[in-house]
Amino acid sequence: MIQTLRRLFLTLLFLSISTPNLLAADAENKGDEPVIDVMGTVADHDYLKVPQFINGGKIYLPRFLYWENAEGESRLDFYWNTKSAIASGAFIDQDHVLTPADGGVIKMDFSITSHLVYFWAGMGLALFITIMMAGRYKRGIGKDVEPKGALQNIFEVLFIFIRDDVARANIDDNKSDKYVPYLFTMFMGIAFMNLFGLLPWAATATADLTVTATLAIITFVITQFSGTKDYWGHIFWFPGVPTWVRAILTPVEILGMFTKPFALAIRLFANMLSGKIMIIAILGLIFIFSDLFGSVAGIGVSVFSVTLTVVLYALKVFVALLQAYIFTLLSAVFIGMAAEDHHHDEENYRAEHAA
Amino acid sequence: MGLLAAGIGAGIVAIGAGIGIGMIGKAATESIARQPEASGDIRGAMILTAAFIEGVALLGAVICILLALGIGQ
Repeated sequence: MIQTLRRLFLTLLFLSISTPNLLAADAENKGDEPVIDVMGTVADHDYLKVPQFINGGKIYLPRFLYWENAEGESRLDFYWNTKSAIASGAFIDQDHVLTPADGGVIKMDFSITSHLVYFWAGMGLALFITIMMAGRYKRGIGKDVEPKGALQNIFEVLFIFIRDDVARANIDDNKSDKYVPYLFTMFMGIAFMNLFGLLPWAATATADLTVTATLAIITFVITQFSGTKDYWGHIFWFPGVPTWVRAILTPVEILGMFTKPFALAIRLFANMLSGKIMIIAILGLIFIFSDLFGSVAGIGVSVFSVTLTVVLYALKVFVALLQAYIFTLLSAVFIGMAAEDHHHDEENYRAEHAA
Repeated sequence: MGLLAAGIGAGIVAIGAGIGIGMIGKAATESIARQPEASGDIRGAMILTAAFIEGVALLGAVICILLALGIGQ
């Protein structure tokens, strides 16, 4: 039992470090090209998918490689794409993984991948819209007169929602406004990244554990830096309990510090991944049925599959916004818990409420 | 074997998450019926708690995906 649990944990850890390469290699090792490559659609790639008539459906992205050659000499190389890296002679394609030709190792891979591009796209769009709207408010539209246009109205609703219902509701009043820019950035960025995943040919950046973990780590760092004396007191020396209980509570509290961002990252990642896999699996039924029972059964199932996919797409639009909201809300709750000032000491509080 | 484990595991995860979220929904609708003016606050608390349960359930689901793909064996 314990061994099984340990193996599961190690598997997850292993996967969290090496997701893109492993999954891509797994899908490609099956010999002949599969009809629908399930993991290939959600995995990270060194190219952007585009419509078939442009460049054969793929735009290859530049690669930055920090690697060590056989003589132990470290160097940072830039190539326009994977093919030119192979053409330069320094690298070879070994099972679809770029490897130095002379037996060296790639120490760091700073390459621009499809998920990174969509991460930038999501955050860039959030930045662009916010700056555009800030310009409008500076000119007085929305401040002196009513906000103009659908975009500004939606923007104002979202911003007020994040400020009042997320930040001010969960963080102490005198501190909450400081965190509104961060929370709003996270909300808009994650929402755009999730919604980009619904466009044809695009990739969901948030269906990658590295992206969500990065976002969760930013929340973790902000939480720790906004921690008050009380917050650290509750972690290392829990007030109002016997000393032997503290011996149990302190490790639990320290563990809790790290499980919160971990759960935050896993939640967003798994939601986006499962939504994508579900749609691919349901569409894949068409091909499974036409393989097993002939093309008539395939056409019959496609009616059912396509209808269900349309419904799922509508659900995914909702989930994309909901997950962005939940990530922001939980970030605000964690920051609020750390930044909270305890005005009362425990005895007075209990006496007041008992009376 | 991995596929069998993934199937059973996904089923158990669904049962656990279903019971949990069902209980939240029951409690939330009951309290909204009793106190309709507090429905906004209750809805917020409901989504927050459901998110926590969902996080645990999805952790299980991710492990089931790993088992089904046979990664790490």
